[in-house]
Amino acid sequence: MNLAKLRSWLRLYGLLVRTTIRSRMQYKFNFVVGTLLAALVQISEFLMVAIVLDRFGAIRGWSVHEIGYLFAVMTLSKTIYRTFADEVHHLEKYLVGGELDQLLTRPMPVLLALMPQKFRLMPAELLQGGFILSWALGSMMRTGQVGWTAVIATLFIILTGAVILFSIGLATATLGFWTTRIVELQNITEDAARTAAQYPLTLYPKWMSSLLLFAIPVGFVNYMPSLYLLRGEVGPWVLAVTAGVAVICIFASLRFWRYGITKYQSTGS
Amino acid sequence: MMIEAHNLTKDFKTPVVREGRFSGLRTLFSREYRLKEAVRDISFQVERGEFVGYIGPNGAGKSTTIKMLTGILHPTSGEVRVGGVNPHRDRRQAVRQLGVVFGQRSQLWWDLPVKDSYDILAEMYGVSGAEKTQRLDQFAELLDLREFWLTPVRKLSLGQRMRADIAAAMLHDPDLLFLDEPTIGLDVHAKRNIRQFLSQLNRDFGKTILLTTHDMDDIEQLCSRVMVIDQGQLTYDGTIPTLREQIGLPTEIRVKFRGPFRVPEETEVERLPYRVTGIEDDTVVVEANRHEIGTMEIIRALSEWGDIDDVDMAEPAFEEVIRSFSAS
Amino acid sequence: MFNPGLYFTLASKAYARNVQYRGAHLVHNIASAMFGFMYACIWIGLGRDHSLGTYGTQGMVAYIAFTQSALWVTSFITNGLGIPQSVRTGQIALDLMRPIHLFTHMMSKEWGQIAYQLVYKSIPIYLLYFFVFSLPVPGDGAAVLFTAAGLLGASYLSICINYLIGVSALWTTESSWLYWGHHALVNLLAGFFIPLEWLPGWLESFAWFTPYPYLLYVPTTLYLGNGDVFALGGTVFWCALMTLLCLLATRMMRRKVEVQGG
Repeated sequence: MNLAKLRSWLRLYGLLVRTTIRSRMQYKFNFVVGTLLAALVQISEFLMVAIVLDRFGAIRGWSVHEIGYLFAVMTLSKTIYRTFADEVHHLEKYLVGGELDQLLTRPMPVLLALMPQKFRLMPAELLQGGFILSWALGSMMRTGQVGWTAVIATLFIILTGAVILFSIGLATATLGFWTTRIVELQNITEDAARTAAQYPLTLYPKWMSSLLLFAIPVGFVNYMPSLYLLRGEVGPWVLAVTAGVAVICIFASLRFWRYGITKYQSTGS
Repeated sequence: MMIEAHNLTKDFKTPVVREGRFSGLRTLFSREYRLKEAVRDISFQVERGEFVGYIGPNGAGKSTTIKMLTGILHPTSGEVRVGGVNPHRDRRQAVRQLGVVFGQRSQLWWDLPVKDSYDILAEMYGVSGAEKTQRLDQFAELLDLREFWLTPVRKLSLGQRMRADIAAAMLHDPDLLFLDEPTIGLDVHAKRNIRQFLSQLNRDFGKTILLTTHDMDDIEQLCSRVMVIDQGQLTYDGTIPTLREQIGLPTEIRVKFRGPFRVPEETEVERLPYRVTGIEDDTVVVEANRHEIGTMEIIRALSEWGDIDDVDMAEPAFEEVIRSFSAS
Repeated sequence: MFNPGLYFTLASKAYARNVQYRGAHLVHNIASAMFGFMYACIWIGLGRDHSLGTYGTQGMVAYIAFTQSALWVTSFITNGLGIPQSVRTGQIALDLMRPIHLFTHMMSKEWGQIAYQLVYKSIPIYLLYFFVFSLPVPGDGAAVLFTAAGLLGASYLSICINYLIGVSALWTTESSWLYWGHHALVNLLAGFFIPLEWLPGWLESFAWFTPYPYLLYVPTTLYLGNGDVFALGGTVFWCALMTLLCLLATRMMRRKVEVQGG
């Protein structure tokens, strides 16, 4: 894909973003109240853990701020992934309903035609993640646990994390070319794995933490980089490794996707 | 040559569904398949400017063929060229010159106003602003798009949605248009509207159109050529009158007599290639196969029965033609 | 009009509808089981450095194992009993016309759903935890009986809450907000992850003014043998109150549909 095509694709995507925002804003009241409520609901999930930490102090040496950080980085990475590529997560709908047929008649790679099918505004997640992250980072900066550079590094790992989550999502979705149903698999590779990595992986038995680092590498979204960023337990090389994992993941999953799509059997006759 | 299909064949592998305990799980991991031949060795060519109807019973392989022509499905064997390009080898290049409408699925953005979908599609196909405005103005007039220009697609009626969808498929000015059941579920008025536009596209703008349908009026009113597919095989390819003749369905002739008339006994007419199917008051209904006997001959024969006042001929309903064709 | 055969048919159809997909649901159970496993790991981690009060680490693992299994009969049931969709499609007008009360109609279907989830979700997941964590079995038959009563009441409460949420769809297009709110409250107030006595004092007191503790906390503590049988009185009280609310809501709904024609 050359530069001119990329630019045209970005323009097309920008158009989608603008029109989506415009149509959502038609009902401002619903938008604002819905966002606030959803953010509160999501914070309740963290609150559940925060209450326990408030009572017991720390889990295996991880403070409430550190766990809040893990939680927020995961939320923000997921938000980026799902904002731009929500339809990858919902590929099953396209496979079952045959809507993928339409996308195959577009003069561009199927994935690039799929992504602009929907731009999903996720203000509640952004609010929740942003709020918990600034609270966690702010508190840790006040106590001198981390410095300003951590903010930049955090933005970086949120992006690499989004790439990793996207890759996991894409690889899972690709399995749909064989199984058609993917919701149950996504429950394992996306929902359960992501939730697991909201807590320090040391909590889990060895087999499970290895699984979350090497098979479904959600551990690299937040946990591994935080070991260095928050706790100085490993060297700065871990950031490079994180970026490397992201690159490997996206290449592998794109290849898998390209192979999977040749197995596509359109439904209906 | 707009479309060339050479020996197209498509087999589908469907996993064998397991029964009994843990059937879902076992099906998921099963490696057993059943082979279904959806399309068998189909070849045809479509010239620029033709309007082709592609018909056949459900599950005959119509949609599978269209999906192969549009590059959506890869044929198991055989080759396709659309405007000289192979849509499986150069999908992106091929699809630029074709528009596709699937009657049961919209290609528009569900939550966005109709107009916004066009903006996005124009960007997708690299249609310039000026071209887009000019074409949309034209379509808006022909298809009456203005009345729902700013309505989100999910709120459109089926007829409106179909009009919007056809305009979307034509936005990048393709030479070739594929329509899969474009009139399905529409009311008479909406159907007429869409047929008018399609025939205009074909007649005035020289677009090549291939459509599948279950509505025989679509075929009769629009198509210059018809292809019939049954059980994956092309069973007919030609004009509509020839198809009728080939099947030899009887033409129905209603003859009204002035004054008294006498219908001969069955034994007397047996040697003639027509049949009396009904007598009402002053009218006799006769069925004849025009392949075997000319209309004039029949009228001449009938005039011996009495004084003919009026003759009314009805061609067999096209749906009947296809049904009997598929059955035979 | 009371027709037990009809209710049973509705329930068994809902059950049978799900059985077709049990293969997929069993895959889904892996994910569900992972969630409980994670929560248990957190408590095991906490238990290494802290004393976990009357529960102890093993007790907390047992607590999580039971709540995570019970969820599928007392909390994670059909959103709004499917009423919001039926409002959107207009089906609701038809349902209100049937010679059977909407509440009992929806409830019968949901009991079928709950029975299915009990057999294909709660029990397999609990059995898995039972072996993985070597959980104890309850000491006496009375505890089992009380637990069953607590769970039954909890399922009924959950049906009522979801019915009320579902019915609200007739007045607002945003009934999903209520549904989210309900889930947030289950997270915090039902004892989903933390036993209620460890909530901050004010939140614990507040929780006992709501029906939420009766959804998970009460049946779970009864099962573990550290609960109070009299808490079942609260279950009965909330069931009665919720039933009244549901009947009232149905009446308002009927009026609304009759006036506006759906």
